Amino acid sequence: MAALFDALLANPAVILTVGAFALLALPRHLAQVWMLLVAGFSAIKLSMLGLGEYGALSLFGEQLVTVRVDPLSRIFAVVFHIAIVLNIVYAWGQRDRAQNFATLAYPAAALGGVLAGDLITLFFWWEMAAITSVFLVWAPGTRVTYLSGMRYLAIQILSGVLLLGGIVLLYRETNSLAFDFVGLRDENGLIKMSALVMFLAFGIKSAFPLLHNWVQDSYPKSTITGAIILSIFTTKLAVYSLARAFPGQIELVYIGAVMTIFPIFFALIENDLRKVLTYSINNQVGFMVVAIGFGAINGAAGYAFGNIIFEGLLFMALGAAMYRTGTSKATELGGLYKTMPITMALCVIGALSISAFPGTLGFVTKGLIIDAAGEAHMFWIWLVLLFASAGVLEHAGIKIPFFTFFAHDSGKRPKEAPPGMLIAMGVSALLCVGLGVYPDPLYALMPDQAAIADYHPYSAYHLVEQLQLLLWAVLAFAVLLLLKWYPAEVPSTNLDTDWFWRVPGRRLLGWVTGASRATWIALWGIFSGRVQALMARIYEVHGPEGQMARSWPIGFMALWTAVLLALVLVLSFLA
Amino acid sequence: MTDHHHNPHEKPGWADTKGFRNGFLAVLVIASVAAALAGLNPAWEKEHPHFAVEGWKVFFALWGFAAFMFIVLAGQHLRKLVGRKEDYYEERE
Repeated sequence: MAALFDALLANPAVILTVGAFALLALPRHLAQVWMLLVAGFSAIKLSMLGLGEYGALSLFGEQLVTVRVDPLSRIFAVVFHIAIVLNIVYAWGQRDRAQNFATLAYPAAALGGVLAGDLITLFFWWEMAAITSVFLVWAPGTRVTYLSGMRYLAIQILSGVLLLGGIVLLYRETNSLAFDFVGLRDENGLIKMSALVMFLAFGIKSAFPLLHNWVQDSYPKSTITGAIILSIFTTKLAVYSLARAFPGQIELVYIGAVMTIFPIFFALIENDLRKVLTYSINNQVGFMVVAIGFGAINGAAGYAFGNIIFEGLLFMALGAAMYRTGTSKATELGGLYKTMPITMALCVIGALSISAFPGTLGFVTKGLIIDAAGEAHMFWIWLVLLFASAGVLEHAGIKIPFFTFFAHDSGKRPKEAPPGMLIAMGVSALLCVGLGVYPDPLYALMPDQAAIADYHPYSAYHLVEQLQLLLWAVLAFAVLLLLKWYPAEVPSTNLDTDWFWRVPGRRLLGWVTGASRATWIALWGIFSGRVQALMARIYEVHGPEGQMARSWPIGFMALWTAVLLALVLVLSFLA
Repeated sequence: MTDHHHNPHEKPGWADTKGFRNGFLAVLVIASVAAALAGLNPAWEKEHPHFAVEGWKVFFALWGFAAFMFIVLAGQHLRKLVGRKEDYYEERE
């Protein structure tokens, strides 16, 4: 019991979780102050721990390490804390208990997963992340969000079940529960079943191609603040897990490359700008997955760090516009720069950063991934990443700020964003530019210090290459606008892989349910018919009018007694 | 949520003026040409390029321009394949 108590006390994620539950008893107007205090305690705890393993526990004779702070987990833990604080400030004044609870409990679960030193602890936090985050999807309280939340939960729990299956299979193979390198293949080059199952679990949460659409189905339906929080943690926990268990697996390079490409086209035709940003999450995670495939862990971790800041900033800016106008649709926005100039400027900084313009956080982190492709001499992957970079510029760098704040004038003249939102966006923008210009503090957190020491983002050729790529892509945008070839936004729903389970899948489920019901009714009819017939027969024999119920004459009884006595006599002679 | 609609007699915003648009375009063209010209400077070339195309002075400019054009011009046709009414799912759930 003492060991369990020590393990709980050692874990910053537990501090956040306890803080989240305490929120339920606190007056609503104190929520944000309390949340900031709790996040501060958690951050202090993390910094006091330093690198090392803590919270050792024994479970059924197996040693668990509930907290492991090493260079890889530390960079994720640090950026998670930054994101938690920014989210709290952004949602200053939010009174909804369920959302406030999830604002702490869900990141706590993601943090717990990142700090887990063993697979059982990872599984526990993995499922906690699924359960706590669904409250954010359900937060708007409509039928649409209820159904979406149920689909989200089913997929997340499926990922958890697969993870558990993978853990069991892996334990059978290795007799170890340590959360370390797993690798897809055994020493003979054959795919390991345990690894494949675990890989799939991580793949669902990091939204691999064809498994990706739960992101678009759920995040844009959440509240303004909910979507921002959701956009950060689940996919990054999955990226961390892949980086921990499957670094250097070439399959990830190809999977990640596909992830960088296909969302670009869906984002282009999407009218809901929050949905555009969810496609951007797929694309951005794709870059991280490619980096993991190359074994470029600095690229994956650094880009995850950067993405949390600049993608979060874009979500925040769009959220501020939505907060003031009530919509995130491109066809209903535009011209907001006139009355929301600060939000617009901060959004542009986020857009420049995600596009990786020099002087921003995106530039000093994305280069690590593109360079890794070059060093691996994988020409086509390198070309795909450059192509995808132009795609990022199109949907996240241009489309988001352009259609929200410029483009056609929607006629809306909303007030500037509230102070809490402006402060959170301002700090994010400051981080984008500050770490972009002076990346040393970020590089000091990188997992592979030997590799980062040789990396110089501001070399002349890096600058020239990147400026050529981005400026000429912007020029293409200008040409398309001048020629009126840039497609107009159209209010529509674009089908994606969720169509399979929302339309034919739903029909199939309805058919299976109907068929099961009919089969059950038929079987029950046969069974109950037989039982009724049997009961009727028993009643007929034993009932008040039955043969067995009639009174027997004395002579009949005497005869039977004589027969039985004779039988006993014969048997005793024979014996 | 506030939604103040604009006065029809208000002046156009700074980003809607012809001067700004032309100025922005001019700066963009100059910067793009400058970036392309910078690629011609041998001192700024990569010492050990991984691929031959890195040696083509303006490869990144061409690739960026072509990629963006392709994404927009080809990508918009995807709408014909997957685009449906806005309430498509609401009708079915």
